[in-house]
Amino acid sequence: MFGFVKNKWIYFLVGALLAVMVLIPFDWFMGKYNTLLIFIGLNTMVTVGLCLLMGYTGQVSLGQAAYYGIGAYISAILSKTYGVNPWLAMLIAAIVTGAFAYGIGYLIFRLKGNYLAMATLGLGLIIWILFRQLSEITGGPDGMGGIPYLSIGGFGFYTTFKRYYLVWFFCLALLLISQNIVRSRTGRALRAIHGSEDAAESIGINVAQFKVKIFALSAVFASIAGSLFVHHLRFVSPQPFGFLASVKLVVMAVIGGLASIWGAIFGAATTNILSDELLLGFGELDTIVYGLILMLVMIFMPQGLFVKLKEIIVQWRSKTTQKV
Amino acid sequence: MSVDQFLQYLISGITQGSIYALVALGFTIIYAVTRVINFAQGEFVMLGGMLSFLLISSFGIPLIPSLILAVLFTAIIGAIIYLLAIRTAKKASVVSLIIITIGVSIFIRGFTREFLGVDSVRPPFFTGDESLTIFGALIRPQALWIIGTTIVVTIILHLFLSRTMMGNALKASAISTRAAAMVGIDSRVMALTAFVIAAVIGSIGGAVMAPLVLTSYNVGVMLGLKGFVSASIGGFKSPIISVIGGITIGVIESLAVGINWGPFTSSYKDAIAIVALLIILLIRSGRLALEERAD
Amino acid sequence: MSEYILQTKGLSKIFGGLVALDKIDMEIEKGRISAIIGPNGAGKTTLFNLIAGVYSATSGEILFQGMRVNSMPAHRRASIGVARTFQHALLFGNMTVLENVMTGQHPRSQYGFLEAAFRLPKSYREERKISLEAIKYLNLVGLGMDKDKEALSLPLGRQKLLAIARALATEPKLLLLDEPGAGLTTLEKRALSDLIRRIIDMGITVLLVEHDMPLVMGLAEKIIVLDSGQKIAEGDANQIQKDERVIAVYLGEEVEG
Repeated sequence: MFGFVKNKWIYFLVGALLAVMVLIPFDWFMGKYNTLLIFIGLNTMVTVGLCLLMGYTGQVSLGQAAYYGIGAYISAILSKTYGVNPWLAMLIAAIVTGAFAYGIGYLIFRLKGNYLAMATLGLGLIIWILFRQLSEITGGPDGMGGIPYLSIGGFGFYTTFKRYYLVWFFCLALLLISQNIVRSRTGRALRAIHGSEDAAESIGINVAQFKVKIFALSAVFASIAGSLFVHHLRFVSPQPFGFLASVKLVVMAVIGGLASIWGAIFGAATTNILSDELLLGFGELDTIVYGLILMLVMIFMPQGLFVKLKEIIVQWRSKTTQKV
Repeated sequence: MSVDQFLQYLISGITQGSIYALVALGFTIIYAVTRVINFAQGEFVMLGGMLSFLLISSFGIPLIPSLILAVLFTAIIGAIIYLLAIRTAKKASVVSLIIITIGVSIFIRGFTREFLGVDSVRPPFFTGDESLTIFGALIRPQALWIIGTTIVVTIILHLFLSRTMMGNALKASAISTRAAAMVGIDSRVMALTAFVIAAVIGSIGGAVMAPLVLTSYNVGVMLGLKGFVSASIGGFKSPIISVIGGITIGVIESLAVGINWGPFTSSYKDAIAIVALLIILLIRSGRLALEERAD
Repeated sequence: MSEYILQTKGLSKIFGGLVALDKIDMEIEKGRISAIIGPNGAGKTTLFNLIAGVYSATSGEILFQGMRVNSMPAHRRASIGVARTFQHALLFGNMTVLENVMTGQHPRSQYGFLEAAFRLPKSYREERKISLEAIKYLNLVGLGMDKDKEALSLPLGRQKLLAIARALATEPKLLLLDEPGAGLTTLEKRALSDLIRRIIDMGITVLLVEHDMPLVMGLAEKIIVLDSGQKIAEGDANQIQKDERVIAVYLGEEVEG
């Protein structure tokens, strides 16, 4: 996590952070921000999948919100319309979304660069159009409500307080899984593909297959977030899954650093605070800011704002230790 | 579908396709000179339409000066995009350039929404709205303006590229930046020119289309996507094939909607174009891979 | 099994009407150093890419250890023992020196997404073996001290050594070296020759494409000369240096160049 602190301080730091995270949702602390924090958690899950795909493997997706949406709709429809247990619905959603992305990926990952970007954008739009048009099952543009909450035995996640823990449990789990993958044989293969596809292929890495697999995994992450999203809001409509939503996810990944797992939290937090707190009620003013962020970050610090800040801290630390 | 209906859909398809053709021309000229796919290309079209509406309907400026101003303004935006965003990031990877131009795109879109609102707008028709009848099919004068403009723009662009010094320099730059530099052609000037030309063509398209099909702050993405499909048919190489591609996409879309059965209805009009995109890309993917190796 | 580790029979490659390689028959003996030479545009790199599986052949056969590998994708060929380097080292710039070589162990390890995601015991076991092997190959090429550096921070000569270490980490039977000497100083070239001999001692067959004549003549036991997509001569250094067609081709190049 904090690669620059290679001593026991890390345990203290992680422990303190976890303690803060546990205390956050209490009313006397930051309880009024629980809804915001839940959305940050959900967006982090989708963003970290996107980071694995874009930052580590070097493959663009401009339609990631669609897979978030597929997870959300499958969970909503199964649990509400068909009365399936929400947990089971969530599992089915993840499997179906993953399988769907695998199939799609098998077709479109023959494309590269600009063509791949446009294909993912186009597919995202088609899925969004389907959410709107298949109104008999999705409720159309108006959406559908009355989706049940999640519960374990008799314990229901009925309050934002409880759902905060639920969402962040999943979020931290996915972040840990992502970190483990990045630091493994698989992670090296993904980064190799980003570095040079020809060289990766020459040392026995099945480039096409890894791309498809990581795309499917990122879709599964998005789907899990989507399921949690509908069981939190108890309502789903096409609006949060369109083109702008996909671009917003790219913004989160870019701010956090495309090739940074923990940066995803930073990216999701910055973006959500900007959209839902600072610029709330200013229409789409946030898109102007996002446009600027995308341009400025990619031009001047393509490794991402979070990673840049981290580097500055490392430099500062090494300077101060030299003085001592 | 009767013959009359078929003709009607065909004309409507050619009209729509002409707009896609203009977007495709913009993609093609920028890609040829800079190897950048400008994901903000659709926003030029949006700006052309929205600005001409603003000038004509809100400021009451006559048609011709309004059009000139709208195109001029968009051209300046095109130049600024190149100078501020593309040139400063000249060593960026393909992924970075995609993200940068997407950033440009939503920036322009957000700005337009802030200042010009969210409503769809319709500037007045250039020359009234008395439909003509051709072989039993109705055609509106504005559609003729759209088709005519596309033909004229294509011819002018062709003459520009083949008959003028500047055009030859652009073509040379498109073939090899280094070779062009050796004979004294500044690739940055060429790239700037390409962005300006793309902005001009896009905004002209936006201005002539708006009276017929309306426009709003968010039409850029879909137009960009359809223009991209059209240009990808010719691999972003040939302006003429891009134009033909645009008209083909327009006609396919229009005829598919004309079937009016199952998924072939106007609700899925955009989806049909996207499916066409995917099919074209996948068919071409084998060749694309080879071309990339050759580069 | 044949004594040849690699054979091509009537191997041809046509790019859009242009004949890049015309019916090449060639045999590479196991455990020896062989070299392919020829003027620019002779088809050397095309031949290399066909053997490595980057392109598929238009006609003819490629046999690796007697097995037809014509339609086998490049990554499969790497896993059955064909490794290669590239003219430009093509290192993974987003990794350290050690990680580059560890990535080379890919076909010799198995654990996948699931074991990685949950850090199952298999991942620990293999990871240890992977890094030990990687360090072994780094020491072999003399980069042991540089293991934690960014791969692209190395000077060119060392980058090329790293590329060889990465290829060796796939534990190949046949190692294809694409212009390993290009851009190296005389001193570095001597070290390279020594390294290639040590690789042979490990029981690995080496096939190289090289422009540097003294390097090839000093190393290769068998030299194959290509010109305009055709094989015009083969033999040991002595035979090649006396071959009239070879002399004509190279004199021609000198006059032109």
